[in-house]
Amino acid sequence: MSPLLELRNITKRFGGLTAVNELSYHVEEGESLGLIGPNGAGKTTTFNLIMDEFQLTSGQIIYRGTNIEKLPTHKRVQEGIVRTYQVPRPFHEMPVSDNIRIGMMPENIGKMIAEAPDPDAEMAIARSVGFGEREFAMYPGELSMGDLRRLELARTIAAGPKLLLLDEVFAGLTVAEIGQITELLLEKRKDGLTYIIVSHDLRSLAPLVDRVVAMSFGALLSEGSFDEVLADEKVQEAYLGT
Amino acid sequence: MLSDPGMRKYLVGWALFGVALLLFPQVATSGTLRIFIFANFIAIFAMSWDILSGRTGYISFGHPFLIGIAAYTSAMLTYHLQTPLYFSIPLGVIATMVGGTLFFLPALRIRGTYFALVTLAFMELMYQLTQVMRPDITGGTRGLSGLPTLLTGALPNYYLSSAVMFVIAFCLWLLIRTRLGTALSAISMDEDAVKSSGLDTTKLKLFAFMVSAFVAGVGGTLYVHYLGSIAPRAIFDINFLFTILIAALLGGASTIIGPIMGAFFLTFLLEYLRPYIPGTERYFIYGSIALIVYVLEPKGLHHIIQRLYGALMRGKQA
Ligand SMILES: Nc1ncnc2c1ncn2[C@@H]1O[C@H](COP(=O)(O)OP(=O)(O)OP(=O)(O)O)[C@@H](O)[C@H]1O
Ligand SMILES: [Mg+2]
Repeated sequence: MSPLLELRNITKRFGGLTAVNELSYHVEEGESLGLIGPNGAGKTTTFNLIMDEFQLTSGQIIYRGTNIEKLPTHKRVQEGIVRTYQVPRPFHEMPVSDNIRIGMMPENIGKMIAEAPDPDAEMAIARSVGFGEREFAMYPGELSMGDLRRLELARTIAAGPKLLLLDEVFAGLTVAEIGQITELLLEKRKDGLTYIIVSHDLRSLAPLVDRVVAMSFGALLSEGSFDEVLADEKVQEAYLGT
Repeated sequence: MLSDPGMRKYLVGWALFGVALLLFPQVATSGTLRIFIFANFIAIFAMSWDILSGRTGYISFGHPFLIGIAAYTSAMLTYHLQTPLYFSIPLGVIATMVGGTLFFLPALRIRGTYFALVTLAFMELMYQLTQVMRPDITGGTRGLSGLPTLLTGALPNYYLSSAVMFVIAFCLWLLIRTRLGTALSAISMDEDAVKSSGLDTTKLKLFAFMVSAFVAGVGGTLYVHYLGSIAPRAIFDINFLFTILIAALLGGASTIIGPIMGAFFLTFLLEYLRPYIPGTERYFIYGSIALIVYVLEPKGLHHIIQRLYGALMRGKQA
């Protein structure tokens, strides 16, 4: 069976800086892949390339067996690839409910006008990330970092992902919040959701991933099980910065 | 939808507004009605501006361009070809929507200040073109006069303009309450995040542009056949642009009632200042007032009134 997503020699250059360099990795359907690497390794850039938020300098992106380099962002989302942002990007002048509504929006303008929103479904998604009625009506400016990350997650889940790209979902969260989100992610996995998870918090990452890819300076460093990758000397060097 | 108590409250508000417009001529002189007619047109143009710029955040400085296409198309058709109004007006609206597409092209690539400047350039270009290119058709600098009017007299024109303004306001209000309205506002907050929620922002923007052009087209054609004349200096004019912009911003962008309130406030202000300050210095006065209101409450008059009302209700309860 072909992988759900495969990156083949993807490269991204910003002027003289090569942020992602001939990188290849894949994720199988139903798998949960950890993506680690020191600051500036190119993890977020990889996500931007997968979503077409940055244009590839070269390389191929294959999703469910077909090349998607030509698809615009919204089409990729409609195909089931959805991401969260490392720095949450809620719609600030809308309550949580409307933020979720944007994620659940139909593709077609006629339907946006003709079909009423479904507050119950919106609330169900809010609840699934741990929000109550109170948070549902709140504005992003009133939310804690933990809640903003939840909102980010709610918005992506609302879009109906098959492959979820999570960028530092645990950063700035309390241990309790990390526990809740971990539980939610494990729950969703049972429903067949595939993940690529970027995290600096390796301890929180461990229980979530089947396999890990480590990268440094835009290139692949090591690939394997969580323990194998962490035991790899090259990875330890990269993290220690020697 | 009708059973929703929140919705019912709004509908009562709309009904009251409609009745007020209907009964107003009972207490007004025909002079006041004339001012109201003008205010209605400014309100229509301000709503057209708002559905595009207030929603999506693509600030248009070129709305007179759209209004001008509508007005000139219908004016030239009726003047030269004696096209009946029921034909020339729809054609004017269609021409405006085609022009709106032209307007839309830069929005595919540029945002913010650059977009605003490009739209301003559109207006300036039209201003020059109408004067230089084929003045035998456009009427050149002097424009065209003696155009057919739809109705005569203050009262019929008051009713017509009020009805059109009211219907446009109500339809736009319904439209922005749908999920489409939510999506359009999201574009002004973070367009890329809207894309990464799976929405085609190009289509959404095009839709907003088309609605805006349609409303500008309806307003522009009716306006020219109310005035009975047209001249480039009256349409492609920076003061005309500012009146529209300030009406929308002063009243409160991104609301429907805001641009209407702004338009009425401005028009009456302008009119009452006329005896004291006959020249264009009036624009300076209202520019200043707009600035003060804007500094006090960036969300506009609409919010100031809402807050006052809120304070009043709390005062009563206490
Ligand atoms: N838009 C951009 N323009 C220029 N350089 C960029 C841009 N985005 C990222 N970079 C550079 O690309 C490199 C990789 O950045 P990226 O954000 O992908 O790293 P990261 O692995 O996500 O790091 P972190 O762990 O800090 O989030 C960095 O050197 C960064 O400065
Ligand atoms: Mg990053």
